[in-house]
Amino acid sequence: MLPRAIKRLLHQATLSDQSYRFMFGRAPDDEFVVIDCETTGLNVRTDDVVAIAAIKIRGNRILTSARFEAIIHPDRELGAEAIRIHHLRKSDVEAAPIVWKVLPSLLHFIGPRPLIGYYVDFDIAMLDKYILPLVGIELPNERIEVSRLYYDRKYGDAPPNTSVDLSFAAILRDLCIPPLGQHDAFNDALMTAMMFVQLRDLTERGVRIPRQRSSPVFNPTGA
Amino acid sequence: MPKAFDISNPPFDRLTPNEAETLRAALDIAYFSPGEAIIRRDASAEALYVVIKGIIEERSEVDLLALLGPKDTFDSRALVHDHSGHQFFARDETLCYVIPRKVALDLIKANPRFAAFFYREISQKLDELANDEEARRYGSLMHAKVGELFLHPPVFLAASDTIETAGHLMREINSNALFVRDGERIGIVTGMNLSKAVVLGRQSIQTAVGTLANYDIVSLQRDDFVSSALLLMTKHNKRRLAVREGEEFVGILEEIDLLGFLAGSAQVTAGRIDRASSRQDLATAAREIETQTRVLRRQGVKVEVIAEIVSDLNRRLLSRLFDMVAPAELRTGSCLIVMGSEGRGEQTVRTDQDNGLILAGPVQGEVLEAFRHEFFVALESFGFPPCPGDIMVRNPAWSRPLSDYLADLRRWIVLPDQAAHMNVAIIYDAQAIAGDPQLLDDAKTALIDMTRGEQTFMAHFARAVDAFETPIGLFNNLITSEGTGDALDLKKGGIFPIVHGVRSLALGQGLRETSTDKRISRLCDLGVLQADFGRDLKQAFRFLLMLRLDGQLAASAGASGTLVRPAHLSSMERHLLRDALQVVKKFREIVGHHFKLGMF
Repeated sequence: MLPRAIKRLLHQATLSDQSYRFMFGRAPDDEFVVIDCETTGLNVRTDDVVAIAAIKIRGNRILTSARFEAIIHPDRELGAEAIRIHHLRKSDVEAAPIVWKVLPSLLHFIGPRPLIGYYVDFDIAMLDKYILPLVGIELPNERIEVSRLYYDRKYGDAPPNTSVDLSFAAILRDLCIPPLGQHDAFNDALMTAMMFVQLRDLTERGVRIPRQRSSPVFNPTGA
Repeated sequence: MPKAFDISNPPFDRLTPNEAETLRAALDIAYFSPGEAIIRRDASAEALYVVIKGIIEERSEVDLLALLGPKDTFDSRALVHDHSGHQFFARDETLCYVIPRKVALDLIKANPRFAAFFYREISQKLDELANDEEARRYGSLMHAKVGELFLHPPVFLAASDTIETAGHLMREINSNALFVRDGERIGIVTGMNLSKAVVLGRQSIQTAVGTLANYDIVSLQRDDFVSSALLLMTKHNKRRLAVREGEEFVGILEEIDLLGFLAGSAQVTAGRIDRASSRQDLATAAREIETQTRVLRRQGVKVEVIAEIVSDLNRRLLSRLFDMVAPAELRTGSCLIVMGSEGRGEQTVRTDQDNGLILAGPVQGEVLEAFRHEFFVALESFGFPPCPGDIMVRNPAWSRPLSDYLADLRRWIVLPDQAAHMNVAIIYDAQAIAGDPQLLDDAKTALIDMTRGEQTFMAHFARAVDAFETPIGLFNNLITSEGTGDALDLKKGGIFPIVHGVRSLALGQGLRETSTDKRISRLCDLGVLQADFGRDLKQAFRFLLMLRLDGQLAASAGASGTLVRPAHLSSMERHLLRDALQVVKKFREIVGHHFKLGMF
């Protein structure tokens, strides 16, 4: 793996479609984009994106009125089995037009703004899979991981052997954010945005999230 | 588009689907850090906010007016009138939907019903709520359980018992239907069956009832819905149903009692009281009064009407008991009075014994003592708990000759001590319910004469309106949704200031009305209060009484959620509560100004 800074330089050079040079510009002050993808599975190589949602944040405002939302209809005939067999040809022929429709406007929406997400590396890796063949680059944007911000606030000063819970539900609970219907790209992005504005404020004020004193008993169901 | 934005949350439920879409498309979400100002004093609001999470403080200068929680909307005044006298701060980490000013104003222009929510005066808002509730409450009536209805006791006869035995038994238990056990079979025999057999069938009254009973009985369970009872009666063309609990028969449900439940049966109870021939009869009626409140509330009857009905029933009950217990000399030579909320006719759920006796002249000690005791014990057995302040007939200080009262009144007004103001308030609210009403009238006339021109006394008297602060605790409870003991806060923060402020103004004018509602009307007529404000004050008062009643009913049912608890108020109700408390605050200022309380 190349360090991201070097990769960014490399991509600036390999950018095949020069109209996307704005991706490397300077982000407007205090603006961010929260992003969330719904996918058919967790394998970046074999699974597909079925929905993308992105919401801008400016300062402490979550600009839900200016949002990006796209549903990508996966080819019904193209089951998991079919993808494995016809991987290259099918995606070239059938996936390309769909990605073409959606991605340019997404890239313009994001611009050079830092990307925020929950396990954002996965979402970006999913998108890069489509973006690389189209524009000749991977997303060069700075990444902000909310679970990392949460970890710092809650477990940053924790003694060793503290059991760590970075689940989405745990973050919602600690920040008292009302759960919206999950596994909807827009709602997930919105909740992530709510987490971000609050976690950033807690960080600025140096406020920590209290941990339970007694470490919870191991729960075999994983709930 | 935040799909999560709850369009069913008033006032947004009044938007058309298209308008709702416009609104959703324009929404942003703002985060506020603890202590951050959201709307500053006298600043115009750039937006209308709806709380998603966190707590907002509404303040005027230094006073905390209200705490807003999730789904609360603020601030319509800042939006519509361009500036708000109030400031809004985030108390903790807060997220709000932001409806841009222009979008909100456009919707207000386009949709009159939506606009009404922001523009109209509180009294109209409250009326709208009442109408919405009516539909809901009628529905809930049908979802009551059979066990809540009046059931006749399950009394069994053997098939070999005679018509004569059955007739006597029916009169004894005051029921028109009895169960008949004939071996394995169970039937019902009614008074009509007996009459027909004797009158039309010319049978002897020694005939066994086994042959007259109807064994084709339809039964249902105690915890079945009232609606299914109605269905069964219609379907099987029955006038009565047997009620079981498991396999056991626990009662008989008569059609008349079912219809009485659906239509309300205050007149039945009233009749029962008037016809009562023993204390036992009265005890039964007393229990019915208790259930009346719940039924009437379910039917969506307005709280002031419930209070009127219940107060009337309670007064009849006391009056009847007085007639039974009091010796002749007391019946003519004294006046039984009720005081407090009962005197004002604002009682809905049974409270303490608040009563007293004014004697025309001295009465022999033993006779009086016997009456005091007996009256108290009887009421206690009916379920009226003793008054904690001992303001009862049992207490010699509250059952004595008129001349003693008058002497005390004079002392209370000239040299007021701690209890003096309360005692004056108690007498001023009193109502005569039995005996010679002239005695109370004389006492009140004296009271009004004595207080006339006593500005210092009146100011001290009125000052109690400021005894309790705005009920922040109540709102805290709302937000933490762990609210208990809220009734008291509602009383201190809302009901008491209105009752006492109105009482002070009324005493100042020498009014003879006792109910707060009527006093407000008279004060408006006299120009002491402005008519508009009087209307708002009445509505606010009724709304607070209704909330308190719901709280009391829920508490007595021991159930959570079936009836409104402050923790479960709808956001509409919370909104109205805020408005009502604003009216209370304004009223306190009016009273303070009237009595020049600023000098204290």
